[in-house]
Amino acid sequence: MSGSRAAGLSGRHTDVIIIGAGVLGCFLARSLRRYDLSVRVLEMADDVCTGISRGGSGIIYAGYDMKPGTRKARMTTEACIAFPELCRTLSVRYRNTGSLVVSFGENADRSLTDKLERGKKNGVPGLRLLSRRETLAMEPLLSPAVSGALYAPGTCTVDPWELGIAAYENALANGAEFVFKRNAEHVQRTSEGFTVTASGQEYGCRILVNCAGTAAGNVHELVSDPSVRIQTAAADYIVLEDDAGPAVSHVIFHETEDGSKGLTLIPTAHGNMMIGQTEREMNGPGNPTDSGGIARLQELCREVVPGLPADQILRTFAVSRPNPYTVMRSGDTWVPAGKSHFDFSILEEDGFFSLIGIKTPGLTCSNALAEDLTGRILAALGEVAENPDFDPVRKPPVTVHVLSAEERNALIRKDPAYGRIVCMCRDISEGEIRDAVRRGARSLSGIKYRTGAMMGNCQGSRCMQRIMDLLL
Amino acid sequence: MKELTCDIFIAGAGAAGMSAALSACAAGADVLLAEQDAQPGGILNRCIHHGFGLGYFGEDLTGREYAARFRARLAGSAVRLRTGTTVLSISEDRTALLSSADGLTLVRFRACILAAGSIERNLSSVPVAGTRPAGVLTAGCLQGMLNCGGHADIGERIVILGSGNVGQIMARQLAQSGKTILAMIEQNDHPGGLARNHRECIEAYHIPLRLHSTVTEIHGTERISAVTVKDLRSGETELMECDTMITALGLLPDRSLVSHLRKDGSFPDWLRLCGNCDLIYDIVDSLTVRAEQTGAEAWESA
Repeated sequence: MSGSRAAGLSGRHTDVIIIGAGVLGCFLARSLRRYDLSVRVLEMADDVCTGISRGGSGIIYAGYDMKPGTRKARMTTEACIAFPELCRTLSVRYRNTGSLVVSFGENADRSLTDKLERGKKNGVPGLRLLSRRETLAMEPLLSPAVSGALYAPGTCTVDPWELGIAAYENALANGAEFVFKRNAEHVQRTSEGFTVTASGQEYGCRILVNCAGTAAGNVHELVSDPSVRIQTAAADYIVLEDDAGPAVSHVIFHETEDGSKGLTLIPTAHGNMMIGQTEREMNGPGNPTDSGGIARLQELCREVVPGLPADQILRTFAVSRPNPYTVMRSGDTWVPAGKSHFDFSILEEDGFFSLIGIKTPGLTCSNALAEDLTGRILAALGEVAENPDFDPVRKPPVTVHVLSAEERNALIRKDPAYGRIVCMCRDISEGEIRDAVRRGARSLSGIKYRTGAMMGNCQGSRCMQRIMDLLL
Repeated sequence: MKELTCDIFIAGAGAAGMSAALSACAAGADVLLAEQDAQPGGILNRCIHHGFGLGYFGEDLTGREYAARFRARLAGSAVRLRTGTTVLSISEDRTALLSSADGLTLVRFRACILAAGSIERNLSSVPVAGTRPAGVLTAGCLQGMLNCGGHADIGERIVILGSGNVGQIMARQLAQSGKTILAMIEQNDHPGGLARNHRECIEAYHIPLRLHSTVTEIHGTERISAVTVKDLRSGETELMECDTMITALGLLPDRSLVSHLRKDGSFPDWLRLCGNCDLIYDIVDSLTVRAEQTGAEAWESA
């Protein structure tokens, strides 16, 4: 029946409902459409990837950090190796920067050796320890006090929302359905599976998947007893200006002597530098940044990379980090059952699948997790045919500034809108803004995350008005 | 790809670019002037207030009227004007690449004048903690939206951070349209901008000016709901409920098109900077006079 179920989504019933259109939900929808399954994604916001998916560091981890033998270790190592190919298939911009874990003393040196051993066990390719001299040759901006580094050539960076949007567009092109502004409020088990009530509308399905990000704990408890809950921590980030000057070329993780959270320096996929991450307690709704957190990052920069112009700030922001912990019943309530657990938590219960607290390296493993889940869903459903019409390749959106002058000229001849530049900081044309609206942008931020407009040095003060004209 | 040649290529047809183009052209140069917007004028086009032209024309004009006078002069001149045209790059080999609805154009020139204006210093230049909700925008962006766009999503209770000229002008325009300006917050012990603007915009409309103060935190999830205002002398903080925050933190010269041409601290002989991308001017009349000189000089040495 070659994709016919998806083609004729009738009434309100689908084979699968996914709650949450973050990176994970989008990849799962795409992965499920390799099979003859109708898939519907219910998303609370008006766009994909508006939660944790939008705010991460964008690092694709090599896999030396994870405890050998865990699902997380296996998936991360494999996903990092497969990442460039995934990006080519989906036409997503990425940077294979490689990474250095840098040490400034004996404790950190030992930790580097541990990571090397762990990485070898996990099968991470190309790992090696660098001397002080080699480290400084690779990253001259580092403080001369550095004692050495662990080099991982496979580490990449990506703009996380670009990856999610690409998966969304490919899922959509392959027949998945996305419904926005649908907040799951109630779930009832039925003889056929489930009925989900979201923003007053009812949707039926056989399989229900919870990919609700920071809300995953709550969504889980619509169906089942509490099992894993999320405690949200926060982290601050600084993005440096587009032409801030000297930058590092590898992702740099600062391994501190006292084991505290060190600095992370991220050469982003679109070119500027990002400085993270001081994990701290959440201080209110809406991810507020913390002035102490930002100051701490700048202070660490002066210590670790004194040559980096950390005061040339383009933007500061904070993200939430969903830290999962298991709970157990104690009388009438549920209490934490020990420490926050380590491995990816995939709960499965009679056609209900729940991913709670998929934090780092969730972005790295988004496709791998989706494929893993797809396997479990197929097993739960029994025989399911493949979808012969599935096409994993996403047609890339037009990006004029990556074209040669000749290609660009030819394009403008065909469509003059690509000649009219709207965002001067990032060289983005009216045609690309229009395409972003066609691709699903419903707001200024939808345009921003699809095109990069308003992300440059003027932060939209010059082009926002014209973009609003184009949106209305 | 089309190719054009000229004596002097000018990037930007605001007050500076138009004046430089007219004077170079009057001196005999073949001038090509590229402008991103549909019509020349730059930021003058969004200035519906008076106070322009007192020095240059001896008359009190609006920014738009001031720009219109130069547009009329351009129309009567031999300057080759290209509107709707963005300068993508300016290169060492004395070429510039332009993009417009007609395609790309390569311009070969003998001398170049950058008249790209300025960008507004935004919130990132001050360490403000808190959320990043809607309802926070720069004074210039607001000015463009209100005076050229017509769909600005402005609330009723407004805080202005910084007291630059554009902020003072916009404070008056918002007050005139019935909005409540809760405070204009300035970290120094005196307001920024011109004394004239302070008198005519702030004092005349009783805008509460808070000196020695700054905003340390923004609150609100979807839209801004309040700011924390800190008195820098006493250290005391106050939560000020608002639905919009305008930043008026000053202007920065925009030299992004030519920063790669700077070697050992100076630009090549064939390149001149003119107008706000060279130096931020408080008054357009003096900018115009200086730009006319730059136009003539560029032709003399070309």
